[in-house]
Formats: sequence, structure tokens, C-alpha cells
Amino acid sequence: MPLKVIEKRDVEPLVRHLMERFQVVGIKKKDGKNTYGVIESPAELRLDSCATITSPKKYFFPQRETLLQFAVDGSWEPQAVVEAQPRIIFGMRPCDIAATWMLDMAFSEVNPDANYLEKRKRALIIGVDCKEPCDEYCFCKSMGTLEVETGYDLFFTAADDTYIVRTGTPEGEALLEEWGKAREALYEDRVKLRAVQREKDERFKEALEFDVEELPRFLEDSYRSLLWDVLGEKCLSCGSCNLVCPTCYCFNVLDEVKLNLSEGERYRVWDSCQLEGFAKVATGENFRERRGDRVRHRFFRKGKYMKEMFGRFGCVGCGRCTRACLVHINPIEVYNQLKGGE
Amino acid sequence: MMKPKIAVFEFSSCEGCQLMFANLEDEILEVLGAVEIVNFREIMTEKGDDYQIASVEGAITRESEIERLKKIREQAKVLVALGACAHLGGVNCIKNYQDQEEVRRYVYKERAEWFDTIPARPLSAVVPVDYAVPGCPIDKKELLEVTKSLLLGKKPSLPDYPVCVECKMAENICVFDKGMTCLGPVTRAGCAAICPTFGNKCEGCRGLVDNPNVNSHKQVLQEHGLSVQGILNSFRMFEGYLEVAK
Amino acid sequence: MDARLLPTVDLDTIFRPRLAQLLNVEEMTAKEKLFTFQFKDGTPLGQDPGQFVEVSAFGIGEAPISVSSSPTRGDTFELCVRAVGNVTNALHRMAPGATVGIRGPFGRGFPVEEMRGRNVLFVAGGLGLVPLRSLIHAVLDMRQDFGAVTILYGTKNPSELLFRNELAQWEARDDVDYQVTVDVADESWRGNVGVITTLFRGLPVDPRNTVAVIVGPPVMYRFVIREVLGKGLPMGRILVSLERRMKCGVGKCGHCQINGVYVCQKGPVFTYAELRNLQEAI
Repeated sequence: MPLKVIEKRDVEPLVRHLMERFQVVGIKKKDGKNTYGVIESPAELRLDSCATITSPKKYFFPQRETLLQFAVDGSWEPQAVVEAQPRIIFGMRPCDIAATWMLDMAFSEVNPDANYLEKRKRALIIGVDCKEPCDEYCFCKSMGTLEVETGYDLFFTAADDTYIVRTGTPEGEALLEEWGKAREALYEDRVKLRAVQREKDERFKEALEFDVEELPRFLEDSYRSLLWDVLGEKCLSCGSCNLVCPTCYCFNVLDEVKLNLSEGERYRVWDSCQLEGFAKVATGENFRERRGDRVRHRFFRKGKYMKEMFGRFGCVGCGRCTRACLVHINPIEVYNQLKGGE
Repeated sequence: MMKPKIAVFEFSSCEGCQLMFANLEDEILEVLGAVEIVNFREIMTEKGDDYQIASVEGAITRESEIERLKKIREQAKVLVALGACAHLGGVNCIKNYQDQEEVRRYVYKERAEWFDTIPARPLSAVVPVDYAVPGCPIDKKELLEVTKSLLLGKKPSLPDYPVCVECKMAENICVFDKGMTCLGPVTRAGCAAICPTFGNKCEGCRGLVDNPNVNSHKQVLQEHGLSVQGILNSFRMFEGYLEVAK
Repeated sequence: MDARLLPTVDLDTIFRPRLAQLLNVEEMTAKEKLFTFQFKDGTPLGQDPGQFVEVSAFGIGEAPISVSSSPTRGDTFELCVRAVGNVTNALHRMAPGATVGIRGPFGRGFPVEEMRGRNVLFVAGGLGLVPLRSLIHAVLDMRQDFGAVTILYGTKNPSELLFRNELAQWEARDDVDYQVTVDVADESWRGNVGVITTLFRGLPVDPRNTVAVIVGPPVMYRFVIREVLGKGLPMGRILVSLERRMKCGVGKCGHCQINGVYVCQKGPVFTYAELRNLQEAI
């Protein structure tokens, strides 16, 4: 795929151009913090900012999503509802691109989920490279998600006054082609790109004290560790870690009827395995009643189960769960403690 | 099908939750298509005593209220506590931490002799309560959901997870990150995290989740600068009765 | 991944139920009713014994219910339901003619083909008879294909016994060894008293050629499996069906997960050999 170059000053016109055909979403400021939102004017887009509260997964898997419309008395066939629109996510970070790969796997395996996949397929992803770690909580380098090879249509790396743009798909290439202001990369641009990548790599430190491939084994060996009880004592079971996680995709399904009581809709809503009622059945049996067991389940899902299911870790090292955790449960510390055999 | 008859009553309260009921405006006609309101002092003059559902606002703070509530309970098939005062005792219970005689003089002034006062309590401390619409004030949407559930024969269920869930879904900046303290991590959700969404902290008006990790939450509050007294005060705003009951 | 690699999907999604009509309701006990359904388009459910469906009471919600009838018995299907939650209570209020939504059948049922030619030891505790009945029917309908058939059934008390007419039929058959026990007897009860494991004393089991199929409440498994292992059965020939919160039925929502396994996909039927490495299972 060709390498292109865009002048930084041309990004705003590019965004404006894209806004004519797509809903463009990207990182904006909210109360002084970064969050993904719909770009209303090109100047809002902050390609340099990172560490958003929640991940861009909401554009493929919204917090609340209608699945079905029905008649309460079943007098007409229930109708499946799938909503999707053309959309560009401009400025997705490598960790979130890696997380999107995980969601793609989860929602296309065995029983493909149209509600996710239609949104996903109608979206174009323009990635942006990180220059430095978001803060002390991110550990993407250790999780192998600092660099991504696929999963984007275009990928921007800032170098001096330009962005050097990798094209990942023909759709991405066509987007630039049609806009017409990106130039072919020259030899100097390639040299510059390598230099930028090298400098970037040096700024990111390894946070884990071991090779991450060993993580499933460490988890397996510590299934009965007291560490889970200790974390369970602290955990508020507030679900924040799951809700901000870019790879969490558990959901609950609920019905809501209109006031006429004759028709309604079924919707899904984000859920969290840390919440008390997550594994509770109608008879009252709770299959994961203890807080510590729930904390363990989360770490096992991220570090072992998803790896077994999909071949990659469910944790991309974005650090969002640590930032959101009021009691400072930090996967870097947890994983390193596991390695220490605690 | 016979429309179920609903009556709305109030005890010691600001009547704000009934006002939320009366303020349904957009939905009230549709609601009235499904139910018949037979007694609701705030919006009508008729007073019917034939009802199946009693929605009751307010805490119990006087002996006479106990008798009146028991009568309502006898008549109603379903008793719904409307709002924090009815559900938890609410702000009324702050008085329980003061000298009752002083409170009486302060409130009723020169007519204090005419009125008795007892420590404030939620409806459930007096009679069995079937369901609650929590909050100070109640949430309009939740009131409608509970109403619809009752009409459909579905047990109205309150979320058993804390306000943090709704804050994260709304992508709010964490209240603690703004230098404030918050009861959201132990407070039952269902309000769409309305206070944090509009820049305030959660004061716990909806009551605690079924199994809150209170100890860990207290440590979080202390870590963010709240003294033991400060912690007690913040919980006493709405959960005062709970503390006494223990 | 590259969006072009994503599968094309049916917009008539995995979440859309098919309509089914309630044909008959039979009261089983104070808490359980047996419901007979038929799809409105007349197609059979096509279930394997041991599979489950997601039942919609529209407006109330959706709940996983194990199928109680065998595919060997016609185009209707039966669900035996205890009124415990919103959906099941709504079902209990329904009368013949009512419409529900059905998704499924889902999950991995009992391996009927692999069981052919073997002795079958059924162990049902309480509501466990509900999914087990689909397999018992299938086995009895192909009786000549199986060896000795033993059915052990236990409930808390006599009033909780399900499918009483059928129990009497099993009892009367010469080619079925049927034994029943209750934890607590009442004045009318003349049979065994004691937990289900008491039925294992002196029970003849040929470990070389028997499959044990155990379904019951979570607390039962550990004890019954110990008994069956005690009879010398290998772990791969001990089958159980696990209850979990199978909210979506299609391997997405996460609620039914046991360690790394989605029960709605890999289960609800498991061999004990498969469960042994799943710490959260039993």
C-alpha cells in the first residue's frame, strides 16, 4: 500500500471535506478531558490528544442499542432493528485499533452480530500514531499494541509539519485520491517516518516485568491466589473498569414498552461482569457471588480466556481501567504481582 | 379490562415528587388512558377511597401519620413509595440526630404544644412496601417505567448497580477527579447519573445498592480529604435512617 | 481487522424470535406448569434433547428455558416452567392461544448417537427432570437401541414431583428401573426418604458400558458425581447439564461464562471430563 504525505495545515480542510459525506468522529475536549464525539467543526478535532475516558467502541457497540420492535401480544412478526450510517473515526489510537480487532472477532465468530458488524463495516478508521505515553497507566508497549499493522484504512504519523500517512485499504486510498491534496511520500519522508518511529519507541517503556506471552501461565498458576481476595476487599463492584474498557463487550438485554402498552422495543445495554447481579439467575443462585471471584474473572478474561478464544489478549494496555478505578486496581501491578507468585 | 385505580398521598415531604407526577404533561393523557386516578390532592378535588395502587410520598414523623398509613396499606393492593422520603426516610431523618424537643419548638414555634413529633422513618418502617420509585425528586422516566411494569404484571425492578455505571456510560468526568467527593460508587443507579452529569456530586438520594462495599468506599472518601465526620454527614443527608436502624 | 474480512450478515438478526402459539397448559405442581407450543409457521423446533430456547414474553423480557420434550414426538414442543422471575411469571399467566417469541434451539444437547448401545443411568434432582425428560423420551422411543435404563429421581418433598403420569408409566415398565426418593416425606408418602445419593446404595451399574446423565440443582452435582465415580464410571461418560444465565443464547453477552467457556455454546451439556478443569463449574 502506498505511503502518502499530508501537510498538517491541510488536515482541517480534509476534515471539512470528509464531513460532507460522512459523520466524522474524533477526540474532542469535554470539561477539560478528552472524549470521542461527533466533530461539528474541523477545529474541534484534537489529533494530538489521547487518553479518552471511554473508547471509540461506542460507535460500533453503543451504550444502548435497539435490537427489536415487537407487539406485546405478538400480533405481528417482531422486526429486527439494525442501525448503521457512514462514519469516519478520525484519530483512533493504536491501542483502540487493536481493541477493535478483538471486537471484530467477538462479534463475527459463530453467530455474526449484524448490529455490530453493519456499523463496523460502514465505518472508515483513520488511525493516529502516539508520540508519547498517555500517562503512567498505559502499557501498550508491553501488550504489543503500540504498533498496529492492520485494522485501519489510513494511519497518520506526525513528522515535523506533515503527517506521513500509511494506507491500509483501497477504501482509505480512495479517500485520499478523491480529496486530491495528499502527495506521494518521497525517500526523505520514509527516512523521517523511521526516525519518528524509533524516537517514539524509545519514549515508551516496558511496564511488565516479563514477556506477556507468559501471562496466561501466571494467571493459571495463581487461580487460587489470595491476591484475588485482597483485590475483592478493595473493589467497589462499580463496573467502571469494564465500561471504559475498549474490548469489553458483555451486554444485558431488556424490553421497554410504549405507554400504549401494546408495542415496544428490545434493546441491549452495556453490562459489567464486576456487578453483583451479572451471573445471577432467576432462581436467585449467583454463580459469581464473591467480589474477589468477579475481579479474578475480569483479569482472566483479559489475560487468558480471550487469548484462548481469539488468539490475542483482551487487554490492549490502554490504561483506562486504572484511570477509572477509585481504589487503584492497576493491571500493571496485578500482572507483575502474579509473576512474583503472590 | 378495568383500569386500575391509583391514589396519591403525601406525608412529611416537600410534595416535589407528586409534582413530578403532575408534571408528566406529555405523557399524562396516555397514562390516564391506562389508569384512573381517584385521589391526588395536588391536582384534583375529588377524593376516592376505592383504589388498588397507592403511591405515597413522604416520611413518617408523627404518630397520626402511622395510623393514616396503615389505613392506606389496608386498602391498597400495591403500595409504592414515591421518592427518597417515603423510600429511605430521606432528609427528614437529619432531625433524628438533633434534640427532638428543640426540633419541635424550632418547626412549630409557639404552636409546638399542638403537635407531636417522632423520629422520622421511611414507610417501610411502618408497613410493608411493595415497590419504590427512589430519588429526590423521583425520575419521571422511572415513574413511567414502574407504572408500565405494574400494568403489564411485571415486577418493577430497580438497578442493583451503582451510579458509576451510568456516569461511565454518559462519559462524565469522575466527580473525584474534579476534587469533590461522591456517593455514586455505593448509590443505586437509575437516575442516569443526573447530578454528576450536571456538575454536582451524587448525594445518595436513591439509597444504597444491595451489597455496597461501604468500607472500601469510606477509604476512598478519606483519601479524597473527607473526615470521619464529613463522611457521616454526607451519608446522613439521605441514609440517616439506615444508620439508626443498624 | 480489515473490514473487508468481516462476514456478511443476515439483517434478520440473531436476536429476532419466531412467533409460537401456546396450545396447552398443564399444571404440574403449585409452582410448575407444562406448556405446549407450536411455531406459527408450523415448522418443528428441531431440537436435540438437552438444548434450550430463549422464550420472549414480549414487553416483559426473554429467558432461557430448557426444552422438555423429545424431537421424536411431533411438531410441537414442551417447556416445563417454574414461576420464579418476570418472564416465567408472565408465562404462568398465559392461556392457550397466547403468542410468545422463541429463539433457538441453542447449545449443545446430549450426545444421543454416542450413547446408543449403552446402558443409561439418569439422575434427576428437582427441576433437573425437565431437561432430562427430553432425553428420557428419546431413549424410550428408541428403547431397543439402548441397554439397561435406570432413572433415579429425587425432590425435596412429594408435592414437587413433576410429570406424575409419566413417573407411573416408567415405574410400570419392565425395561426401566425407576426409583424415586424425597428429602422430606409427608403422610401420604410410602416410598424412599433421603437425598438422591441414598439411591446409589447397592445400585447395579456396569462401569464398562454405562453413561450417567445427571441434571439437578448446583449443590447436587458434587455429591452425585462422587457416587457415579465410585461405581467406576470414566469421567467422559458422566454427563451433566449446567444452569447459567444464558441471556443472549448466541455466545455474545457474557453472562453464562464459566471460566473461559460460554455455556450457551459449549454447553449446557458437558462431560465431567470437560468440567474438571473449569473451576467455576460445579
